[in-house]
Amino acid sequence: MKSSSTYDVIVLGAGPAGLAAGYAASKAGASTLIIEREERAGGILKQCIHDGFGIIRFQQKLTGPEYAERYIRLVEEQAVTVLTSTFVIKVNKKEDGFELQLVNEKSGVFSLKAKALVLANGCRERTSKQVFIHGARPAGVYSAGTAQYFVNIMGYLPCKRCVILGSGDIGLIMARRLTLEGTEVVGVYEAKSTPSGLARNISQCLEDYNIPLHLSHTVTRIIGTDRVEAVEISKVDEAMRPIAGTQQLVECDGLILSVGLIPENEIAEDLGIKLDASTKGPLVDQNFMTSMEGVFSCGNALHVNDLVDYVSESGELAGEFAAAYGRRHSERRLVDIGYSNKDFLYVVPQYIDAASDNKNVVLYFRSRDVRYDAKVAIKCGNDKLHEKKHSVMRPPEMEKLELDLNKLDINGANKLEILMLEG
Amino acid sequence: MSKLLKRIENELQKTISKAISCSEWRSSIVLEGEVNSWDELMSAGLRAANRGYKGVVNKMTVKGLFIPEPKNPAVNDYSLEHKKVDVLIIGGGVIGCSIARELSKWNISVLLVEKEEDLAMHASSRNDGMVHPGIEPKPGSKKAYFNVKGNEMYTKVAEELDVPLRRSGSVVIYDSYWLKFIYPFFKKRAAQNGIKGLRHLSKAEVKEREPYITDSVAGGLLFPSTAVLSPYRLTIAYAENAMINGAEISLNTIVKSMKLDGNRIISVETNKGTVYPKAVINAAGVFTDKIAAMANDQFFTIHPRKGQVLLLDKKKGSILTSVIGKPSFVNVKGVTKGGGIVKTIEDNILIGPDAYEQPYREDYTTNRENIEGLMKKHFPVLPTLTPADIITYFAGIRASTFEEDFIIERSEYVKNLIHSAGIQSPGLASAPAIAEEIERLTCETLQEVMEVKRKVNWNPRRKGIPELHRMTAEERSRFIKERPDYGVIVCRCEEISKGEIIDAINSPIQCNTVDGIKRRVRAGLGRCQGGFCLPHVVKLIQTQSGGSITEVTKKGNSSYMLTGETKTGNISGGCQCEK
Repeated sequence: MKSSSTYDVIVLGAGPAGLAAGYAASKAGASTLIIEREERAGGILKQCIHDGFGIIRFQQKLTGPEYAERYIRLVEEQAVTVLTSTFVIKVNKKEDGFELQLVNEKSGVFSLKAKALVLANGCRERTSKQVFIHGARPAGVYSAGTAQYFVNIMGYLPCKRCVILGSGDIGLIMARRLTLEGTEVVGVYEAKSTPSGLARNISQCLEDYNIPLHLSHTVTRIIGTDRVEAVEISKVDEAMRPIAGTQQLVECDGLILSVGLIPENEIAEDLGIKLDASTKGPLVDQNFMTSMEGVFSCGNALHVNDLVDYVSESGELAGEFAAAYGRRHSERRLVDIGYSNKDFLYVVPQYIDAASDNKNVVLYFRSRDVRYDAKVAIKCGNDKLHEKKHSVMRPPEMEKLELDLNKLDINGANKLEILMLEG
Repeated sequence: MSKLLKRIENELQKTISKAISCSEWRSSIVLEGEVNSWDELMSAGLRAANRGYKGVVNKMTVKGLFIPEPKNPAVNDYSLEHKKVDVLIIGGGVIGCSIARELSKWNISVLLVEKEEDLAMHASSRNDGMVHPGIEPKPGSKKAYFNVKGNEMYTKVAEELDVPLRRSGSVVIYDSYWLKFIYPFFKKRAAQNGIKGLRHLSKAEVKEREPYITDSVAGGLLFPSTAVLSPYRLTIAYAENAMINGAEISLNTIVKSMKLDGNRIISVETNKGTVYPKAVINAAGVFTDKIAAMANDQFFTIHPRKGQVLLLDKKKGSILTSVIGKPSFVNVKGVTKGGGIVKTIEDNILIGPDAYEQPYREDYTTNRENIEGLMKKHFPVLPTLTPADIITYFAGIRASTFEEDFIIERSEYVKNLIHSAGIQSPGLASAPAIAEEIERLTCETLQEVMEVKRKVNWNPRRKGIPELHRMTAEERSRFIKERPDYGVIVCRCEEISKGEIIDAINSPIQCNTVDGIKRRVRAGLGRCQGGFCLPHVVKLIQTQSGGSITEVTKKGNSSYMLTGETKTGNISGGCQCEK
């Protein structure tokens, strides 16, 4: 690879979002390169050996590695290079695109150029300190993803008897996985009053294995010198603050945390791209373009998805639009999509580019709390573009809707609104 | 009973507790009796201090309070049995290690023992990494003298030991106009302590230096000599340089007792056998009084003063250039009160430490109240800070005496014992100067029984592990060409390569623990706190040091990372680091 190489599209990350973006960009005719910091493509799917992936995308229940393999093959068929074990040090905005400074063991430090960038960096797990757990700091406290790597990739157990804090999907999956491997899972504790993970995981990972789920409880203290010896559990109030006097000690040698995921957007932030305080991902338009022209975002870097199928869906769309970026000449005209924080956790995309040819808009959103028989409507001024009744909406389950903007004269509008109405 | 003693006893009985009784031992005052609380014990100790006695020896107990014994290493062997050395240094913190390094320039045998698995495990890795200018200590105190001198010495020390140091300066800000009248006071004290460069800053000047600081700032005082560095990397660098020059270091080694013959220490018993030193240096941090007691020379008492610290994402590092303090207003006793906001050498923002008295010398737990207190106190100074910026927090314990000054001296009674005790803040700033003084005292001690000559080939320099992410592209490529492992990034948050981690494992003082790797090369110290790189680091430790992966520990003893194989076992071996 020459240091002067220029690509139409460079995708950062070869997880499910990045692979899909690379595949779609290449299919749309762009010269494409995918950069991956790990040794192999596939991202976090490599360690997700349970099934349930691909029901929407492939109408099949696949394991994580199988799902990844599908996209790896698609990318290979398109002859897109995945540059593995390569780390992006810095991205600089240039007049004619972007210059990436990279490092790997073969080439040392080198640079590449791209007309458009797709950020598919995925997300990281929130740590024990980010949820303000106190006490001692012995060995045996792991995030669920790290524990999953130990078990599924390396073949080792992180503990013999554990407490799981947080009912996020990885935590639920790990409750089952550890149980199957002989670790005693004392219980899953969740500070919120409703589970964070998908209903199917609550049923298949906890109920099927008689693992108790304790809502409105959290770990307030870790006890142990060398290894974890016990954790202190407290009940919490509605504001998730521990209630004094409710502490109980649970003996265990491990604490597994599944307390949330944070989109990895350090490269985006470094470029000065605007982030959404709710999603922690970039603000994007319906073409997945961020506040910086030519930079696209998708997958869990954009917002944390609950199904990989949606991750690659957004990847394919972002890749396709990134490929088209070079051919576009009109200026963007961004129309805000407004929503109430009382009803929605977030809505993606945050803008519509009224000047774009893309009039088929995919909208993803999550309700703020559990809602029954509520209607979701989209309005533009007095025009109602969409209305649909949802028998139930839960924050852990992402909702998706498709809009056809062709019917609408959006050019005059300043704002679209997404509303939640009582059924 | 002397009049002074009687007076103090009456006072303590009247104001604190009738149970307290006082006696004199050598030139110190001894307090005994059972009091009701740690607060009572502290008040008694502080009231008896600096009243004409050399030190306060506390033998008081608190009703119902159990204080655990020092944590012991898990290993016991005879690797040091019958060992004869010229100097035995007890304690592997920055003080012990800097002393070892200064002594390594002499033709004498030096053995340093440390009870923990690694060096810098207590106060030396649990502080704010700040090299203070020396304004806080009372003029005329040992703290003032060694702090200002140590600060000056750091430029050379850091260069010789290849430890990054930044003279970022510190600004003591005040939020009320009339507080500018503190300037003459500070100016006078700076002159007394020998601090150079103190300057008054107007509000505009403070804002120009630190644009993100709160608008409510009214002005500030600039101390340009303030510096920041990594305290544990410095400690390790000192130790490595000492080793290069022939000093020996024995980790997991705890001193259990001493045998004296009259006024000389003859032998020191450890969990690894009995050592026969000609001179003993007490640099045992929070346990210096216990070590002194073993030599029947306890004339002071350590009361552990705890502090908690917040560490913020280096993303936010760009909003700060120096160290920000609020007038911690010059408590007469020189007690550190609230800590400040420090831009660390690694570009994180560090907040704290706070300070409070408690009975436990090794309790590094944190709690909600203190951590929230730090946020509440300091976040308003830099209004863009939010709790989401916090990546970790930790606690440290200061080895304070009731007299609140350093003890740096030869024992008055034991001819071959030298104390470096009560070293709390500004201990890090003072370390190079303390080490030189202890070196002088040790040579003096040894010269009474042997000839002490300089080594002809002493090497003051030590090379650290290369920091690839700080290099230019060309330099970095050159390193990677030489060793491709430097091109494999393992810790994504801190951009640390496989090569750097392997270097840390195989460094002069072998490092086989996950926490040890963190301290040496920062893998796992970033925003994901090792979420991604931890398995790779564990695997690298195992492949480099041999043995089973289930033997790899977080911090020695039985802090095992993994508890066993899965049912199917280690079949895949798919870790990136294995190839």
